[in-house]
Amino acid sequence: MKKKLAAIALMTVMSVACLTGCGSKDESGKTFTVGFDAEYPPYGYMDDNGDYTGFDLELAQAVCEMEGWELVKQPIDWDSKDMELDSGSIDCIWNGFTINGREDDYEWSQAYADNSQVMVVSESAGINSLADLAGKTVGVQAASAALQVLEEDQAELSATFGALQEFADYNSAFVELQAGSVDAVAMDIGVANYQLKSRGEGFKILDEALNSEQYGVGFKKGNTKLRDTVDKDITKLAEDGTIAKLAEKYDITDLICIGK
Amino acid sequence: MSVWSWLVDVATEAITMIPGLAGGLVKSISIFCWTLLFALPLGLLIAFGRMSKRKVFGRFHVIRSFTKLYIDIMRGTPLMLQLMVVFYGPYYLWGANIAGFRYPAIIIAFSLNYAAYFGEIYRSGIESMPLGQYEAAQVLGYTRGQTFFKIILPQVIKRILPAVTNEVITLVKDTSLAFSLAYMEMFTLAKQIAAKNTTFLPFVVSGIFYFVFNAVVARIMNGLEKKMDYYR
Repeated sequence: MKKKLAAIALMTVMSVACLTGCGSKDESGKTFTVGFDAEYPPYGYMDDNGDYTGFDLELAQAVCEMEGWELVKQPIDWDSKDMELDSGSIDCIWNGFTINGREDDYEWSQAYADNSQVMVVSESAGINSLADLAGKTVGVQAASAALQVLEEDQAELSATFGALQEFADYNSAFVELQAGSVDAVAMDIGVANYQLKSRGEGFKILDEALNSEQYGVGFKKGNTKLRDTVDKDITKLAEDGTIAKLAEKYDITDLICIGK
Repeated sequence: MSVWSWLVDVATEAITMIPGLAGGLVKSISIFCWTLLFALPLGLLIAFGRMSKRKVFGRFHVIRSFTKLYIDIMRGTPLMLQLMVVFYGPYYLWGANIAGFRYPAIIIAFSLNYAAYFGEIYRSGIESMPLGQYEAAQVLGYTRGQTFFKIILPQVIKRILPAVTNEVITLVKDTSLAFSLAYMEMFTLAKQIAAKNTTFLPFVVSGIFYFVFNAVVARIMNGLEKKMDYYR
């Protein structure tokens, strides 16, 4: 009896998981699969109910509603984003995706938000400018736009650092910042604002930014048709105020560059 | 803030994460079950191939060499890399459409990898059986198939169970590698909840989940071992 029960329970678990795993191939209507990093608030993240949300995902939802598409939110591992896009398992990368430096690698929509890469330091560390970082250990997320800036446009500045430490996620970076094993962490301003708001006192953003850049939606090279459709819809959503409303909801009004 | 109220705060926060992580646990368990279902029989096949004495042209052990190479590749490269090869490989090699292939790819990669390890464990058990067992079975009129499945295999299973338990417990923890394909199993979810809440707490909670899961697995395997005490 016990064995039978266990077997039944096991079969249920397996079939449920299989259904959720294979259930994404819905034939009714066109689907629009957005690839995003689910560890990137406020642009894309998991809310308290376990649903994926964020400024970019809600904007994608608005585009889908205009076109009558079904939105599929596919979280991806950020390091594998190009493989996901190339292989067609996602239709676009829409998640605080920096255009600058990647202009030729994707088909880009128009830029919709300004972004800058900034340095977050501990308030008590006495670091007030980029020059103060000479000889210090600086942290940065692996495969991020901030890393690219530090390796290319700001290579001279990086050369003055004691060391450049790559992190997988911001939690580890902030803990090390708190513990003093790194002195500064480079990241997008939107992310920096979210982190500082959620972590409270003790950190500050340096006034000097590393660069200024813009966010767009990235499509696979050659896929101009889909790009043009989405781009047109973004323009409309800017004109009718949807984007401004969403920006207010996610507290990034200052960063929106479209329709201004 | 007193230690007590801090503990209560942390515990309350941890409890709010349980429903989110539990959904991931179901998916981790499903990876675990499907992998065992495919890898255990496949491992037996690999053990046979590895011990095959069949020759081509009277001198080349084709089957044996091939299985040896397979085992070397599966054990010699990271499972995370194998996951990526299985999922993205079909597109890069043949331009295949891999939408919806994420979950099957994970099961295939895990099964192929674990079958290689199980194959070697089976082989160690089978090769440890004394020749006398085969001779006795032959005298009693058993066919080769009957000898293997009725006489040899049960004793082999008894002998290899501790090694299999090791591997099965490793599998429980390895399911977390599916994060590299962004499959929403428990560890991937823990990472996402951690990012949203800017805390490490989800990792602690998921660690407890893994521990309990493994405690159950270990107990089941222990029970199996006791059952097989009949064979010395």
